Amino acid sequence: MNQLRVALAVARKDLRSEWRTRELVPALAQFIILALLIGNFGFQIDSRNASTIAPGILWLALVFAGLVAFGRTFAAEREQASLEAMLMTPASPVAIFAGKALAAAALLVVCEMVLLPALSLFFGMPLSGDVVAAVLLATVGMAALGCLFAAVVARVRARELLLPLLTLPLWIPFIIAGGLAVQSAMGLPGSYQQAIGLLIDFDILFVVLTSLAARFVLDE
Amino acid sequence: MSVIVADGLTHRFGSEVALEGLDLVLDSGEHMAVLGENGAGKTTLLRVLATALRPTAGRLRIAGLDAFQERRRLRHYLGYVAHAPGLYPALSAAENLEFFCDLQGVSRSRAADVLETVGLKAVAHRRADQLSRGTQQRLAIGRAILHEPRLLILDEPDASLGAGAFDLLSGVMHGTTVVLATHDQALANRLCPRTIVLRHGRSLGTATHLRVVQ
Amino acid sequence: MNRFERAAAVAVLLMLLAAGAIFVYAPTDALQGPVQRIFYLHVSSAIAAYGCFAVVLVGGIIYLRNDSAVADRFARAGALVGVVFTTVTLVMGMLWAKPIWNTFWTWDARLTSTLVLWIVYAGYLLVRRMAEPGRQAARLAAVVGIFGFIDVPVVHFSVTWWRTQHPGPIIVNDALPVQMLGTFLFTLACTLVLAGVMIAIRYRIETLIDEKQSIAEPVPVAAGHRAEAGPEAVP
Repeated sequence: MNQLRVALAVARKDLRSEWRTRELVPALAQFIILALLIGNFGFQIDSRNASTIAPGILWLALVFAGLVAFGRTFAAEREQASLEAMLMTPASPVAIFAGKALAAAALLVVCEMVLLPALSLFFGMPLSGDVVAAVLLATVGMAALGCLFAAVVARVRARELLLPLLTLPLWIPFIIAGGLAVQSAMGLPGSYQQAIGLLIDFDILFVVLTSLAARFVLDE
Repeated sequence: MSVIVADGLTHRFGSEVALEGLDLVLDSGEHMAVLGENGAGKTTLLRVLATALRPTAGRLRIAGLDAFQERRRLRHYLGYVAHAPGLYPALSAAENLEFFCDLQGVSRSRAADVLETVGLKAVAHRRADQLSRGTQQRLAIGRAILHEPRLLILDEPDASLGAGAFDLLSGVMHGTTVVLATHDQALANRLCPRTIVLRHGRSLGTATHLRVVQ
Repeated sequence: MNRFERAAAVAVLLMLLAAGAIFVYAPTDALQGPVQRIFYLHVSSAIAAYGCFAVVLVGGIIYLRNDSAVADRFARAGALVGVVFTTVTLVMGMLWAKPIWNTFWTWDARLTSTLVLWIVYAGYLLVRRMAEPGRQAARLAAVVGIFGFIDVPVVHFSVTWWRTQHPGPIIVNDALPVQMLGTFLFTLACTLVLAGVMIAIRYRIETLIDEKQSIAEPVPVAAGHRAEAGPEAVP
């Protein structure tokens, strides 16, 4: 399908650029390690309370790394004036948006590959398939929303200020459901199945909504 | 047939008027230069004609279609070289063009042909951020002609091209309808039989083979 | 007095009458005492806020569909007034919660989603201030307004599913004394009138702002008065 081809071309272009420059991922990884350091001193973590505090640090670090990653993907296009060139082609804005979101999500997954082992190394957080699945499912919806609002603010002054303000409230459902899924995967009370089901519902809802809205945000 | 029919194009940024009541008719195959000082409204006019900017007032028809209702259908018809080259710095010249081949829906082999046309075959695998400003400009021109548009909108493409500007542009412009903004009056006269001069967003008039405007 | 001043005077008068009903007519709650009187305005302004944000939602959708400047102005007016009423709701709710729950704040579904509501539409107003005024700002804000409205029930649902302690809607309960119900309905009606008047006045202000910035409404693109433009004017 033509739309899919465009989306993949855009994602490949972004990932290739990142691979060549290696700017964003190392910066984000560093950022994540620093977040863990701050978490450690802010909470006085030891082996007894690690499992209750580590999930909170996980979501905080992920949310702020995500804001930087998504903000960057559209800000770079704006600085290079290349977004307009893309939109001057017959390619559908929704496909372009999907490609950008896909690449940003992939970069965030790379960050998670740093974050999750680091959490387990520093704080003894058990690293199970259940935790990984919850984080990955939350990443899907967060990437869709994050990219939509990154595209919204890319053409506004003070975008660094506005992106978290607009995006964080919309991420709250993912953080609630994802937070609960991770907690229950670590043995705290709560239904893991139910939390994962909710994450999947939210993913579907927001991926559909953002693709409907992308046309209005990117056009012109 | 008229390719561009503009009627009362007006654009304001806040309270600042960038373009005011501009009327324009351009026939198929015509080459028209847009002259004027910085801030006269050249870029705004070109962005409107390229359908990249919706004017605050006025009507624009391109190839018989309403330019803002049918923007999507005009994408194939139109090629636009903006003021900034808009390239991906970390991708090579060839990769930049191949990416846009994918977006245009044309075969990637077209990228190699176009690199040849704009004289960049030798630097095809050089990263865009390692190319000189003039070479980047050539690449941006190449990107605008990948899909062989019938209408070309060129915003100061000669600014950093140097001596080869005339040869490159006359080759690219051959057989298409062109609107070209430039500071170089001599180049404009050689390339375009028709000229329009802008000042403060208004047309100071058009002429055929304008010689000197003071 | 022009008609906006008259409408404002009527709205203020109605709110004073509502205050009278709340403090004089309505009986004191047996369990909660006088603090319960907060309920009348608290719930009314919450409903008014939702009404305002519904205006933002509908205005945004209409704007995205056909670029109507009127719809956009209504959306802007609705967002501002809605944020005001949400603030009132939050503050009154916290004042009520302190004596009853012994805390100003708890992370319950209704409280969390109302806070999210406030943040989303405060963000909406910031986008309007920071984006260059015109079509683009309006489109971007419309998207923000629509997503904000969708987000509220989603947040509400996810927190409810998580935990909740906010009192359920007891208005429909027939155990509510008729004086209380009457006071509530009267206060609600007065608050909605106030919200409507505020939106109307704000709409007028937005119109004047637009006129001042002389952002012309998009010219109709159908066949116009001058069919084919003649040769360009030569001075």
